[in-house]
Amino acid sequence: MSLYAFLGTLEIGFIYGLVAMGVYLTFRILDFPDLTVDGSFTLGAAVTATLIVIGYNPYLATLLGTLAAACAGIVTAWLNLRFNILHLLASILTMTALYTINLRVMGKPNVALIMEPTMLTPFEALGIPAMYMKVIFVAFCAVIGGLLVAWFLNTQYGLAMRAVGSNKRMAQANGIVVNEKVYVGLALSNGLVGLAGALFAQTNGFADSTMGIGTIVVGLAAVIIGESLFSTRSILVIVMSCIIGSILYRVAVSMALNADFLGFQASDLNLLTAVLVALALVFPKLRREWKAKKAKGERV
Amino acid sequence: MIRCENLHVTFNHGLPTEKLALRGVDLTIPSGEFVTVIGSNGAGKSTLLNTIAGDIESTRGKILFSDRDVTNLPATKRTKDIARVFQDPLAGTCGNLTVEENMALAYGRGKRSNLSLALNDNLRKIFKEQLSRLNLGLENRLGAEMGLLSGGQRQSVSLLMSALQPSSILLLDEHTAALDPKTAALIMDISSQIIEEKQLTVMMVTHSMRQALDHGSRTIMLHEGKIIFDLSGDQRAGYEVKDLLQLFAQARNDGEELDDDKLLLGE
Ligand SMILES: Nc1ncnc2c1ncn2[C@@H]1O[C@H](COP(=O)(O)OP(=O)(O)OP(=O)(O)O)[C@@H](O)[C@H]1O
Ligand SMILES: [Mg+2]
Repeated sequence: MSLYAFLGTLEIGFIYGLVAMGVYLTFRILDFPDLTVDGSFTLGAAVTATLIVIGYNPYLATLLGTLAAACAGIVTAWLNLRFNILHLLASILTMTALYTINLRVMGKPNVALIMEPTMLTPFEALGIPAMYMKVIFVAFCAVIGGLLVAWFLNTQYGLAMRAVGSNKRMAQANGIVVNEKVYVGLALSNGLVGLAGALFAQTNGFADSTMGIGTIVVGLAAVIIGESLFSTRSILVIVMSCIIGSILYRVAVSMALNADFLGFQASDLNLLTAVLVALALVFPKLRREWKAKKAKGERV
Repeated sequence: MIRCENLHVTFNHGLPTEKLALRGVDLTIPSGEFVTVIGSNGAGKSTLLNTIAGDIESTRGKILFSDRDVTNLPATKRTKDIARVFQDPLAGTCGNLTVEENMALAYGRGKRSNLSLALNDNLRKIFKEQLSRLNLGLENRLGAEMGLLSGGQRQSVSLLMSALQPSSILLLDEHTAALDPKTAALIMDISSQIIEEKQLTVMMVTHSMRQALDHGSRTIMLHEGKIIFDLSGDQRAGYEVKDLLQLFAQARNDGEELDDDKLLLGE
């Protein structure tokens, strides 16, 4: 792998580290499988890119893009909590609606940001080559994001949210308002994913209506890889392992794509990822079954 | 004080499966009284406790805590007054949080959670102190995942958790039923200690006639959603397990068949 390609891999790994944290919040903390992220990643990018093009300050544009994505999460939570629509289905509805909304926001299938100012513009004066600067910037964002998420989950409020995902009845018996925690959790999760979308648009120079496809699976892959690296109860380590998992996932993917003898094309990525995640989900179960079978065999 | 006035609860209202679980319960429990609640399966004991806690909405009637009408108050807002321990040891704690995290949650019961850290050394000291009362060695396992503890250990921790925050009412729904006799006795012991210490108003559901007579100062029997017997004072003092069984038999003769005789003989 060339240095240039490696830096690109790192950059995208850090950005999707934010996605992975968002997915971790819903799938693991709240036990609310949320597919909204495929749409909210694009929404964050679309809103930010569109606002930058019409002259907004990139930082303000990114903030608004993040907030828009957080709102998408609230819509999913509302569909689920208010109308009892199954969480998966509620999130698919929001995701589908977002496809249209994203096109409307941009007014066309994609928006170019090549010549526009971005969050990185103020740092150009430092004289660091752009390809390094980008990695440093997204790494900074991901690590700060991770620290904030880990801190949040260790606060009273965050602990209450974890209780909601673990045992609703217990949470309620201890005075925790369950629905409120789900709203906040989904807003946070999708906000993180939207922020990742906004960063992606600015470092890659475009927002595109299809850029969010597969976001959920990639995020989940990163979470699972991260979890398999460390067995720990420390929230900080778990959250940070989302970033590491995301980077490792990208490295693995780019190695697979670069290994000519394997004959993979870039368009094979989604299939590869889906297979990888399926294996990761299936493996612990299989291992348990093997163990059970072995134990039985020994007893006979 | 807990007061229920003409409390009715109907499940699946208007459906073929409609079930009148409570049919006009009138009950006043003065502050500091310990009431044991008995009755056959399906009599409405859990429903009564869950309605008082706010998990179930009453279809008719009123609930008051010390003259404050709480009938329309959601469960989470009643937790300032009520602590509970459930029958299922898994229900009262979060399996994938640690012992100390579970205790921190209970420590915040009834208070608004904020953005300060949930755990600190001061709290850990309090939790350790409490856990050491159990003599189960749990005071050295603050950081262990709750799911790794045995059912009895989890139930013991649930019980301690119910007492971490001051509350006036304690609702115990067969909280020793899932435990082996030795652990059940330990839990009952600690329950009595806590109740005494904190001068709590208690409702304890049990299927053990022995437990029902040995603890508290009053026993009520529910049958088909109604209180059919209310024992206290000298009358109760003169009662034996066999007398209670007689009452059960009477209830059965008046009404439908009881499904299970075994539970009546349970000690
Ligand atoms: N959520 C519900 N929906 C419909 N019916 C219910 C519901 N909860 C309880 N019931 C019914 O209400 C009646 C009273 O149930 P409850 O759980 O209060 O009985 P119980 O006295 O606690 O019995 P047990 O000793 O078996 O715990 C039962 O007939 C039960 O089937
Ligand atoms: Mg019951």
